[in-house]
Amino acid sequence: METKYKYTPELPEEFKCKVPLPGTVQAFVTNGVLRGGVEIDGGVSVFAKSQNGFTYEAAKESNCKESLQIISFRDSNSTQDISFENDLLFRKGSDSSILLCTHTLSLDKFKTEEVVNIDVEEGAKANIVVMQNEHNASEHKVTFRLNIAADAHIQINVIILHGAILENNFEVNINGEHSFCDLNGLYLVDGKQSVVTNITMNHLVPNCSSNQLFKGILDDTSKAMFTGRIVVSRDAQKTEAFQSNHNLLISPKAKVYTRPQLEIYADDVKCTHGATSGIMDQEALFYMRSRGIGEHEAKLLQQLAFVYDVLEKIDNDRLRQRLNDLIESRLRGEFSHCTNCSMNCC
Amino acid sequence: MLEIKGLHASIGDKEILKGVSISVKAGEIHAIMGPNGSGKSTLSAVLAGKDTFEVTAGEVTYKGMNLLDLSPEARAREGVFLGFQYPVEIPGVSNVNFMKTAINEQRKFKNLPPITAAEFLKMMREKMAVVDMDSSFSGRGVNVGFSGGEKKRNEIFQMAMLDPILAILDETDSGLDIDAMKIVAAGVNNLKTPNNAFIVITHYQRLLDYIIPDVVHVLYDGKIIKSAGKELALEVEERGYDWLINS
Repeated sequence: METKYKYTPELPEEFKCKVPLPGTVQAFVTNGVLRGGVEIDGGVSVFAKSQNGFTYEAAKESNCKESLQIISFRDSNSTQDISFENDLLFRKGSDSSILLCTHTLSLDKFKTEEVVNIDVEEGAKANIVVMQNEHNASEHKVTFRLNIAADAHIQINVIILHGAILENNFEVNINGEHSFCDLNGLYLVDGKQSVVTNITMNHLVPNCSSNQLFKGILDDTSKAMFTGRIVVSRDAQKTEAFQSNHNLLISPKAKVYTRPQLEIYADDVKCTHGATSGIMDQEALFYMRSRGIGEHEAKLLQQLAFVYDVLEKIDNDRLRQRLNDLIESRLRGEFSHCTNCSMNCC
Repeated sequence: MLEIKGLHASIGDKEILKGVSISVKAGEIHAIMGPNGSGKSTLSAVLAGKDTFEVTAGEVTYKGMNLLDLSPEARAREGVFLGFQYPVEIPGVSNVNFMKTAINEQRKFKNLPPITAAEFLKMMREKMAVVDMDSSFSGRGVNVGFSGGEKKRNEIFQMAMLDPILAILDETDSGLDIDAMKIVAAGVNNLKTPNNAFIVITHYQRLLDYIIPDVVHVLYDGKIIKSAGKELALEVEERGYDWLINS
């Protein structure tokens, strides 16, 4: 995974993100290399780093109405294992949102390792949506390292639609008081896919809150692993930290390993965790069928209903609707195997 | 319209229906009464196609078809509606979405194009008025956070939307106060035509003050022990079931 690889081919013709969401500016990352920098009025920019990876920056006190979509994909121009590091800098008092999409354009066996350093400075507001949709032989590991200063607010919503082995790690340090970190995730896995989520939420100072809501739907022989740890240090009084992980197993051969962990050294805190795994609600299915809704459709409705509360966290209506449609077509099995860009998202 | 002949059904090893025969014609309202555990809810569930019950003998003919051969959704599309005793909560599926899906599945079955948004909204408004339901309900999850009475009204609302040919109401009156019961009854009376039929399952005679049945059946220990006109309900109210059971 040490190979550093720099290559900037022309954007493959077949990759067309046809309908960018209104109010969204796009930038492309090919095999870890940003193709050209982007600067948006309102103080947001993204530039390539010297090797590979990129730096995103929301300038001090900036308030950017437009959101940036960074589409990062692997293609057959570089099939080696690659690793790169990106920085997301949300400067003091800034307010911005970013959509990070990862795809694969060819069916090669890809391995990608990525570190995303996220720095949320004092009073900054950051909104990040991550969408991962890769093909059956793509392994992708992302480590998000977050440092959150005082009075900051960050929300990350991860939507995982497809991929062979997708691993997301979150190492969060809440370093300043009165901050809020909201991590949500949704994973849809089938076939032999697996999704791994590891979270360490470190509450280092008093008066902060954090929330984690991760939900998954597992079919066939797929696997999901969730390890969520909340650590409240001795000084971090008045911490409020919540975590839940819920799983819907569609197939009897799907497996989920969930490990909620609380490590609390302070004595005046409010922390909860909950983890469940379950099967479809037969009563609800019968209720829907008794209204003429076919079994297949009823199951789909129930799955959509299951993930609804995660999607609801995304406050950009258009994006949420788009993701909802994507999830629906994914659950209908409409893009289980990939052609060109595995996505028909845009 | 509906012909039930010698219907036997069990759950596991336990036989619950032990030979039920009922004949319902279009334009009729039938009431089924009976003490707890007599098999009333089982009968309605079997008619709607719930697979937890196994039909071991007998036949059910509906509009000339073998009803027992059809899946629950196929029965619904053919016009069978079950009003649940305990309506199910489905968080995350809004009433609006739920009804729209149901209506469109029904239309697809009839080779009709999907309903337009305008038509659907108009229909929702009209039918919600039938059961005096607040429009804020439509955006909420199906039955989520509804009171007992609201859930039952939602059943009648769904019935009005789907305009069934045969509606089976399983203890729709249980847990309702008198005002809610009047609304439910008005809904039924409003939807009644010479072409459809209702089977109303109830514990009490009270509902039958508002929904006048053509035939009243008493179900006991998995069998119909008595069928008669609406006066039977009054007699049951007065004398209980013992005189029927012991006779």
